[in-house]
Amino acid sequence: AVVSTQSTGKKISKDTVSRLEEFALYLRESKKERRSYVSVVKTVNVFRDLICTSEWVTARELIKIIKSYCKYLPLSQSNETDVSNVVRRILKIIREENAGSEATSFADGLSSFFKSDMKASSIGRPDLQDNILNSIVELLSELETSKSNIINMALEHIHSNERILTFGHSNTVRDFLLHGRKARDFEVIVCESGPSLKGHKMAAELSDGGIKTTVIPDSSAFAIIHAVNKVIIGTHTIMADGALRAPNGVHQLAMAAKYFSVPVIVCAAVYKLSPTHLCSYDPDAFNKVIGPENMLNFSNEKLHSKVLISNPDFDYVPSDFIELFITNTGGHAPSYLYRIISELYHPEDYDLDNMCVEAVEDDICI
Amino acid sequence: SSGINAEYGVARIVNGDMILIYKKSQLILHILLEAKRQRKQFKVMVVDSRPDLTGVASCERLTAAGIPCSYVYINSCTYIMKKVTKVLLASDALLANGYVLGPVGTAMIGLIASNYNTPVIVCCETYKFSERVQTDSILYNELADPDSMLKTLNADDSLVAGWRESPNTRLVNLVYDTTPPALVSIVITEIAELPCTSAPVVLR
Repeated sequence: AVVSTQSTGKKISKDTVSRLEEFALYLRESKKERRSYVSVVKTVNVFRDLICTSEWVTARELIKIIKSYCKYLPLSQSNETDVSNVVRRILKIIREENAGSEATSFADGLSSFFKSDMKASSIGRPDLQDNILNSIVELLSELETSKSNIINMALEHIHSNERILTFGHSNTVRDFLLHGRKARDFEVIVCESGPSLKGHKMAAELSDGGIKTTVIPDSSAFAIIHAVNKVIIGTHTIMADGALRAPNGVHQLAMAAKYFSVPVIVCAAVYKLSPTHLCSYDPDAFNKVIGPENMLNFSNEKLHSKVLISNPDFDYVPSDFIELFITNTGGHAPSYLYRIISELYHPEDYDLDNMCVEAVEDDICI
Repeated sequence: SSGINAEYGVARIVNGDMILIYKKSQLILHILLEAKRQRKQFKVMVVDSRPDLTGVASCERLTAAGIPCSYVYINSCTYIMKKVTKVLLASDALLANGYVLGPVGTAMIGLIASNYNTPVIVCCETYKFSERVQTDSILYNELADPDSMLKTLNADDSLVAGWRESPNTRLVNLVYDTTPPALVSIVITEIAELPCTSAPVVLR
């Protein structure tokens, strides 16, 4: 079986093993079009299964089981940040329930984040498991309502006769704009986001929803941006400092917006917020380069194998270009995100490969 | 006059350069091929954009001459800009207030290059200098065929292929855009090298 239980020494039932393998396969095989909401819900369900059916007695053992399973998932690929974030949320839930009434509060200050909260708790497995599962149900309902929380803020940010610029395709932004259309009349300009041309799909969906849409090639963005009121975009991931890992072409759009002082607003749910930073400015460490078949015909013999073609999938957008994040927890400036990260994730889980749950009861483990 | 102009442009190219060019321009290709003839060692990054994709023809001419080329779409311009040492841009006109009228996308490249502190060299013959002034790209522009935006390289049709039937959809395919003088380092003509803002001086 793919899932090894040697590190924990506990048995996991065959059923669970097959579900876990199925999930790992789903992640490995998912195409680019995978909807992040669907994956995060799947993730929560799979881990809920794992919590119920695996053998553990203390929270520490449970965390070790979860982290050792994570080693088999392709979580280091840049595509899978939403899955990693949700796993971190679950781990935080486990730690919080274990700490129980002695939960650390902000009043304890920053040092409380580093104290090991793996003290032997008086709560036994059945109660602890119940508490964890209840919190997971709350997490699921938060995920379900995340989209509607975001789009309900549309009327605060869109006013009549506005011109809004967006880039490529984003389910969140599309629903945000369609919700705004119910009460306001405005125009949307969509950058087509070549070579994938996802912008065409967005334009078709927006005009079906009754919004006047104009499609422009990405090169025209600078030419028209001074005539636009705001830029509203979605993103793949939000980095810990408020930077974005967004579809290719968003960085230059944000640069043009900053040049003309047009605000850039990012609509994204909080499960896209990742406690990772850009580790190196080398684009290859952060990005993913995909096949250029949409850029240049393979049948072009004059250029075949003579020209180096780059088709990066993502763009790094520094946080200075972003004005506002609209998330399911409300609107936030990029400078506030560190606070949200400290509420959502525990520092020990920032690196899911870190199995440092070995700490002796009162030692500080970083 | 493009023969003499090439000298100023060629002099700007040094060994080890990675030169960024945008789409296809006779003048720029002339400069690069001349530099290659003078045995300079450099590489070229060709930036292209939809819908006309004329950069492919640029690539073909350059590879035929033995110049190592890379090719990206304008979306990836920020991704590759760190490796670029100089940006060589063609223009269609130099306006009296210093703005450069060029193929749409030129302004974006100028902006990205300035952000990365890469010199932007605009090549413009003196007959292209104009007494018109313009500060934005929309007031006075040309629209190219919008249906050319529907062309895709894979077999699928574009999802807005039926745009003419839909009352809410429009395709806009601009031909030109204006680059502010602040984003341009130098303009090369056949008589001199000058800053953008000296355009009216030459006109007199």
